[in-house]
Amino acid sequence: MNPILEHRRRLTRREFLGRTSLGLGAAALATMLETDLHAGNARASGADGLPGGLPHLAPKAKRVVYLFQNGGPSHVELFDGKTTLAAMHGQPVPDSYVSGKRFSTMTGKPVGKLLLAPVEPFKRHGQSGASVSDFLPHTASIVDELCFIKSMRTDAVNHAPAISLLLSGGQIPGRPTMGAWLDYGLGSANENLPAYVVLTSVTKDTTCGQIFYDFYWSAGFLPSRHQGVKFRGKGEPVLYLSNPKGMSRRLRRGLLDSLAQLNGRQYQDFGDPEILSRIAQYEMAFRMQTSVPELADFSDESKDTLKMYGPGVQEQGTFAYNCLMARRLIERGVRFVQLMHAGWDQHNSLTTELYNQCRDTDQPSAALVQDLKQRGLLDDTLVIWGGEFGRTPFIQGNLEDRKRWGRDHHPYAFTIWMAGGGVRSGITYGATDELCMNAAIDPVHVHDLQATILHLLGIDHERFTYKHQGRRFRLTDVHGRVITSILA
Amino acid sequence: MRHLLFQLCRSATSLFRRIRSLLCLAAALAEFGCLRSVQSAVDFDREVRPILAEHCFSCHGPDGEQRKAGLRLDTREGLLGAPGHPGPFVPGKPERSEAIARILAEDAAERMPPMEAKRPLDEEQIRTLRQWVAEGARWQRHWSFEPVRRPALPAIADSSWARNEIDFFIRRRLESESLVPASEASREELIRRLHLDLHGLPPTPETVAAFVQDPAPNAYERLLDRLFASPRYGERMVWNWLDAARYADSNGYQGDRERTMWPWRDWAARAFNDNMPYDEFTVFQLGGDLLPHPTQEQVLATGFNRNHMINGEGGRIPEENRVDYVMDMTETVGTVWLGLTLNCCRCHDHKFDPLSQRDYYGLFAFFNQTPVDGNGGDPQTPPALALPTDRQQARKLRLDAARQSAEQTLRRWENRELIAVQPNEIDDEIRKILDTDIDKRQDWQLNRLLQYAENWRAEYFRQLQTLKKLRQQQGGLNREIPKVMVMKDRAEPRPTFVLTRGLYNKPGSSVAAATPPILPPIPDAQPKNRLGLARWLVSPSNPLTARVFVNRQWALFFGQGIVDTPEDFGVQGQRPSHPELLDWLAAEFMSSGWNVKSLQKKILMSAAYRQSSRITPEKRERDPANRLCSRGPRYRLPSWMIRDQALASSGLLVGDIGGPPVHPYQPAGVWADFTFGKKRYQADKGPALYRRSLYTFWRRIIGPTMFFDAAKRQTCAVKSTRTNTPLHALATLNDITYLEAARVLAERTMIAFDFPKQRLIHAFRRVTGRLPQSEETQILLNQLELSLNEFTQNPTAAEDLLAEGVSLPAATLNPAELAAYASVCSLILNLDESLSKQ
Repeated sequence: MNPILEHRRRLTRREFLGRTSLGLGAAALATMLETDLHAGNARASGADGLPGGLPHLAPKAKRVVYLFQNGGPSHVELFDGKTTLAAMHGQPVPDSYVSGKRFSTMTGKPVGKLLLAPVEPFKRHGQSGASVSDFLPHTASIVDELCFIKSMRTDAVNHAPAISLLLSGGQIPGRPTMGAWLDYGLGSANENLPAYVVLTSVTKDTTCGQIFYDFYWSAGFLPSRHQGVKFRGKGEPVLYLSNPKGMSRRLRRGLLDSLAQLNGRQYQDFGDPEILSRIAQYEMAFRMQTSVPELADFSDESKDTLKMYGPGVQEQGTFAYNCLMARRLIERGVRFVQLMHAGWDQHNSLTTELYNQCRDTDQPSAALVQDLKQRGLLDDTLVIWGGEFGRTPFIQGNLEDRKRWGRDHHPYAFTIWMAGGGVRSGITYGATDELCMNAAIDPVHVHDLQATILHLLGIDHERFTYKHQGRRFRLTDVHGRVITSILA
Repeated sequence: MRHLLFQLCRSATSLFRRIRSLLCLAAALAEFGCLRSVQSAVDFDREVRPILAEHCFSCHGPDGEQRKAGLRLDTREGLLGAPGHPGPFVPGKPERSEAIARILAEDAAERMPPMEAKRPLDEEQIRTLRQWVAEGARWQRHWSFEPVRRPALPAIADSSWARNEIDFFIRRRLESESLVPASEASREELIRRLHLDLHGLPPTPETVAAFVQDPAPNAYERLLDRLFASPRYGERMVWNWLDAARYADSNGYQGDRERTMWPWRDWAARAFNDNMPYDEFTVFQLGGDLLPHPTQEQVLATGFNRNHMINGEGGRIPEENRVDYVMDMTETVGTVWLGLTLNCCRCHDHKFDPLSQRDYYGLFAFFNQTPVDGNGGDPQTPPALALPTDRQQARKLRLDAARQSAEQTLRRWENRELIAVQPNEIDDEIRKILDTDIDKRQDWQLNRLLQYAENWRAEYFRQLQTLKKLRQQQGGLNREIPKVMVMKDRAEPRPTFVLTRGLYNKPGSSVAAATPPILPPIPDAQPKNRLGLARWLVSPSNPLTARVFVNRQWALFFGQGIVDTPEDFGVQGQRPSHPELLDWLAAEFMSSGWNVKSLQKKILMSAAYRQSSRITPEKRERDPANRLCSRGPRYRLPSWMIRDQALASSGLLVGDIGGPPVHPYQPAGVWADFTFGKKRYQADKGPALYRRSLYTFWRRIIGPTMFFDAAKRQTCAVKSTRTNTPLHALATLNDITYLEAARVLAERTMIAFDFPKQRLIHAFRRVTGRLPQSEETQILLNQLELSLNEFTQNPTAAEDLLAEGVSLPAATLNPAELAAYASVCSLILNLDESLSKQ
């Protein structure tokens, strides 16, 4: 327990009691208490095992937007153009590339699988000359803002374990996700909104059958208040946010004032500090009732801004809508915004659904980076774009049946990009071999990525731990190293 | 040992360095010596082992793989050496102890723990270690592995306070801290506390009044006995058991298909009501199927181990799934009965507890014997127990008989070739079908036959059609009959291997079913199967099972366990706040024949439990979390109980017991949002909306939205979480359940009483169990006036508010007035007092 915070908390308690007797409205007092209590809440848990003060080092990024591409975007189609692979189209994969490797049961043994050239051509873009395929024209236009990591690798071959590994450091559900860690460690910068917000979407007309499991934004063994608050894709963003029909805001205010008065009396009788915390949480609920709908009201956005994000931006539940929402959340100081977009699982739809997928995500992703930059927010906001793994350079399906070309899950290499927040822009880090099969140069494991993200936020991943079931857990488990060469 | 020490020394780069560090040590010891001299003797288990566990065990603990320099500090021999082979700590001689020298080494390269471990010792810890060595380095086993012995009651200065044995232990500790217990809570407070604790429902004002006025000296005990006898008791107790058993109504994972495990849930609730002894409860659930001539109940109980998630995702390797399931069973049993965090040992030896990876797979072997192969996502994967209702059973018998008779007739005709008009028309394919005995024919064969037989003898064709219909009806009925997944071992034992890094496809050496060697062995006479394991768990020599269980019972009533980590009784778990009390309760529990109700009654009869929960400034300072029980328990109720309270106090509650899960109100689109429209929630209509929370359908990938801080029901959970966030406030303010309950509460009080004040007092009383003080009534009256103004000015608003929920508002009441009362009742339901047990 932080003695200074505790002292302040005690002071405010006394103040609360003192002023109540002077007849000041309890609710108003509760509001006064709020900032202190809330700040205290966020850090008081330090007793559980925050060694030393956070941040450990000067943070470059204050906030994160993770544009999570659920399903495994094909690095082979999008970012990792290799002439050798194109030249070897239709030939069996050489054994040396795949021997001893495990693939999903859909592939089974990889021996003799036929290589498949990327569907669309690649070009070099911007001053940095980064290679991006024609699938992603908007991303191609902002490559000089981006840092590509083309040598990502992971341990899991199925979606849920791989996503869990990337977001929580463990394949089995039960550990806190990155956003929960940050909420726990750094607290909130906006007392009217949760510090960790999750938004989900799926490409239109996709056949994708993936589910967004709630452990993708779980607080794991951290106190559950740190879990991500998932804004819903339809209707009210937060469950039970609106007052019932017939309950005006004025009446609600009145009821909360009476409630605070009664709870204040209860506090005087019982002396349980938890009652003060309850009053404060009811007040925050009241403020969220305006702050959240205000967030979702895009009427103050300029035409140009809306246009930049593309067609779906006004439609709740689309990726474009969520990208603009992400910027609005970031502007208001939300610490971690996790967008999850499903539909990247092209087992048999590289020449069909992949186009829809890119149509729905390419423009809004690029717009978000540009928009943040225009508003001066990109410097201290880290944007990350990527999925849980890549896709096999060899085909899933029949070479003759172009309409049903597909690729299976591939943990041995994939690409992500990052922007802003203390990352070097206009660079490409790491590379795969000439068949896009394995991370060959400067491989980056997902734990390395996590360590680097924490580093950018001023956190030493080895010292940021939480004791649970007798063990000090970290986001990076017992691995991870910071990729220093991509730091600005 | 000499070898270990040799290694240790060798790592010191030169003799000079060693001498220097010993010199520094001498100086440091001189300094510390005077500081520590006045303090009492160091307790190894309480003070020293936690330091070693925290700072040293990662490299010098039970995990053989990670052990550095062959040095081991988690055993007596490792710490102190053997005769003739001194260990790193030399009893009585800190200045000659290599470990102390290394801890104090000035040279960073020399110092332990090493810098890169980032776990430096502070001065206080070093002082403790040194004093422990100076005092003779007495070693003890970790407390929870020591046998349970019933301690004598401690002497206390003021024994008039004590109501039973528990209070001696509580008071002793308070006296040692110079604290006095709180006075006894009022009867109104006590009865609400007891009703919530034992039934999860509030008392009615009439029950409260009767208890408050009961002049009998044993009024309190009679109240307890009455509460124990009600079926509401089992409904309340089973909730925590369901959390531990990760019970849910769907599989989890992609697809998340619905299962029918609810008969197991009802069985468990009944077992609590019947006060089934905990040893029997254990044996039934873990090994009921292996008992001689098991009853249906005993087999049903084994559903416990089949409540795990099932992964039906395409592309998953079945064996990987299967291994996951067996691990889940192993770890669940480890947590629920032994309070050990076995999951660490999936991949490696435990870092802190004396449990090896081999021990883990020894336990795993017990559960590794079912015929389940991990394939597919069938939510009724055999072995499963069909549990038809009486009506279903009767229908089944009727259908079976009708089918037999139809088949009999058909068989006769077929045998006499009385089927086709011209038998030579029958081709080979059909002949083959006809040669298959009629009750072995598959659906497609029957259909093929029907296609052909259309122009055959009309009676034959009609009879075939009848058979098809009967078979369809049988199929339909079969799908309707709940099937509970249960345990059964394969005839041929499945070999078990240590799985390298916990990977299903990396089997190492083979292991036999065995219990961890740190605990007393399983007797030779017992079978080495789940039944033997279950009996071993509840044998009196097992030091953990009773301690772990009584601790959870304590937590049920005090909000926290005597050990505050009910999931971890290992070295890294919290130490008990009252170790002797824990042992006394465990011993008492076992000698009572594992009698759960009598254990609970003992706790609830204590003066400790009956204390008022008011906090004095002194106690807030000295016992902030109430670890010492210096006052009664006060904490927010679990969210399911808050809902049940709202239903009960308004009178909406439908008290039917047991049966298939129900679907109360849930905001539209929640399931659809998570599953891209593949699952859609359909709320029930009518009475099912108002059943107890226990019966709410639990979809594993997206649990019921009306519960917060609830266990996920994905894996075993034995500790409840309590947080305080605005999202909870929004739920109890705006969820239809609470709005409708508020309105119905308003209606009933308006009908029963004439005056505003009476009405408000009554509503308040129905929820909180007490009469409001006059100032409180005044606040409610003021609010009523405010609300009434609002709704009088805006009658549509009143109509809108009253439209929440499917029940219709009483037409005889003025809508504006009713809406105003409803708003105040909603406020009452949201009082901190209403949300809390106090």
